[in-house]
Amino acid sequence: MFHVSFRYIFGIPPLILVLLPVASSDCDIEGKDGKEYQNVLMISIDELGEFIRTERNLDSSPGLNTRFTDSMIEIDSNCLNNESNFFKKHSCDDNKEPLFLNRAARKMRQFLKMNISEDFNLHLARVSQGTLKLSNCTTKGKGRKPPSLGEAQPTKNLEENKSLKEQKKQNDLCFLKILLQKIKTCWNKILRDAKEH
Amino acid sequence: MIVHLNDKQENLKRHDPITHPWSEKIMTILGTALGMVFYLLQVVSGESGYAQNGDFEDAELDDYSFSCYSQLEVDGPQHLLSCAFEDPDVNSTNLEFEICEGLLEVKCLNFSKLQETYFIKTKKFLLIGDSTICVKLGGKHITCQKMNIVKRVKPEAPFDVKVIYREEANEFVVTFNTSHLQKKYVKDLLHEVVYRLEKNENDWMHVNISSTKLTLLQRKLQPNAMYEIKVRSIPNTNYFEGFWSEWSPSSHFRTPENNSGKMDPVLLIISIVSFFSVALMVILACVLWKKRIKPIVWPSLPDHKKTLEQLCKKPKKNLNVSFNPESFLDCQIHKVDGIQARDEAEAFLQDTFPPQLDDSEKQRLGGGVQGLNWPSQHAVITPKTFGGESPLRCLSGSVTVCDVPVIPSSRPPDCREGGKNGPHVYQGLLLGAGTTNSTLPPLFPFQSGILTLNPAVQGQPLFTSLGSSQEEAYVTMSSFYQNQ
Repeated sequence: MFHVSFRYIFGIPPLILVLLPVASSDCDIEGKDGKEYQNVLMISIDELGEFIRTERNLDSSPGLNTRFTDSMIEIDSNCLNNESNFFKKHSCDDNKEPLFLNRAARKMRQFLKMNISEDFNLHLARVSQGTLKLSNCTTKGKGRKPPSLGEAQPTKNLEENKSLKEQKKQNDLCFLKILLQKIKTCWNKILRDAKEH
Repeated sequence: MIVHLNDKQENLKRHDPITHPWSEKIMTILGTALGMVFYLLQVVSGESGYAQNGDFEDAELDDYSFSCYSQLEVDGPQHLLSCAFEDPDVNSTNLEFEICEGLLEVKCLNFSKLQETYFIKTKKFLLIGDSTICVKLGGKHITCQKMNIVKRVKPEAPFDVKVIYREEANEFVVTFNTSHLQKKYVKDLLHEVVYRLEKNENDWMHVNISSTKLTLLQRKLQPNAMYEIKVRSIPNTNYFEGFWSEWSPSSHFRTPENNSGKMDPVLLIISIVSFFSVALMVILACVLWKKRIKPIVWPSLPDHKKTLEQLCKKPKKNLNVSFNPESFLDCQIHKVDGIQARDEAEAFLQDTFPPQLDDSEKQRLGGGVQGLNWPSQHAVITPKTFGGESPLRCLSGSVTVCDVPVIPSSRPPDCREGGKNGPHVYQGLLLGAGTTNSTLPPLFPFQSGILTLNPAVQGQPLFTSLGSSQEEAYVTMSSFYQNQ
């Protein structure tokens, strides 16, 4: 008994102390003055928003709007349900802004496979790579492969497969749009905090 | 023991390396040599730049030094990065340029060569952080430089410089265009506008502006001269920095002649008319000053002394006055009763007339004024109250006059003719200096100058120049106003 108590007293706390640095991440953000964000990243984020709007047929033409109104609402609700886990896990909380930006930038890389257009990919890469460059995180976790967007399930006929692909594309674009909005909000929060201090 | 210790001390001193002279020298030499070696090593290693793999040779560093500049969105979304050797004599036959880091989707990109300039046109610049540009010879890195592309931006040259003259404002409006107005990244520029007289070389005037419009005032330029003007730009943001762009194509403009001698015709007419109007007003003012303007602007106050002198004018020399009763035969003489009247009349005559009257006349006058009770107040005498040859009537408002007895007085020879000459005396007394030529009817014509002093003797109206002169001698307030 005496040896057991010693094990718990003198063994576990050091273990906790050793494991804490592994569990926590050390992230720091550069460019708190906002120069890189306002002159480069924000331009690419806005360009991506235009691409997404165009791809999702959200233009002002009345014909298209009346035709796709119901389907758009369904798509928005679906994409939020499917990918909302990411936003549940990661949020731009206080003192966690660099970490959130780092995670969001890593998440954006998976959309490069969508191949919408060359300019779309370049802007996406600029936002992702630029954010990663500015948010220095020294987390030494296992090398994670960027989560894939998911593969299409084999379907019985081509038409079903096509519609599923289209729906998935819309979902991805919806999620990307929300992700870009979150990144923008988090950057604005960082700049606001930097001005206050 | 003590001796042993002393021996030991001596041995220690003998073999102490610090205090031994030879050891000191050796140490000094060794230290100097090592220092020199390290210094030489540092000098030789120098600051030739960063090497990724460390296998570069710095012997020919100065020959391969280069400089670069970037132009963003020069061809749509594509950016341009240009590099060139600073030494134009460098043999760049087999040399290549390569850029790594700071790129999107790729790790490194190779430059293209155009004559002596190396360039790369791509969309894949990250525009955040540094990039590494290296000179390669046969796959080996000769020299490298780390630089940030956004800090080496060279804007495109402005164009379409126009100068418009605004005559109504007497100014020149300079406008120009730049392709950066439609760009996303480098939008804010600082423009330098320079202009000079064509004949004055190297005498440029500089103006820095942030917009694409400039105003030059005509008065700051020489008239009737030809000017040359051109523009260049540089990034003016807190993130993008770089170099001046190339100069825009020069534009020329001529300033108009000095038009101070010419005047607007309408303005000329107005100025002439106003001049003549002012001259006319001045002339009229001078002419009418004494008669019309001065009495209104500076009215003269009545001078009592002058007024009195005018009232008491001496009779004319040719005035024929006589107190001979025979001259009054045609006149109706009314007897005047009353001693008081006589006394007062005498007193008045002594004051107003020279003492030329005879004693007989005086007695006559004195008898005539007996009982005459002159009114102590001034009588308001009006021409209307007297008729031509009618007997004297009572003065309006002077009841006491009617009660006064008739004064016997002499009659002038021309009594019948009326008092045209005679009353002049009395008129002069009453009316003052200002009315010597007045046309007023005689207040006291001799014929009508007889005062009805006693109602009981109205049948013999007695005219006395004395009485009328006494009446007329009373000064009225109106005479003062008339004298003015």
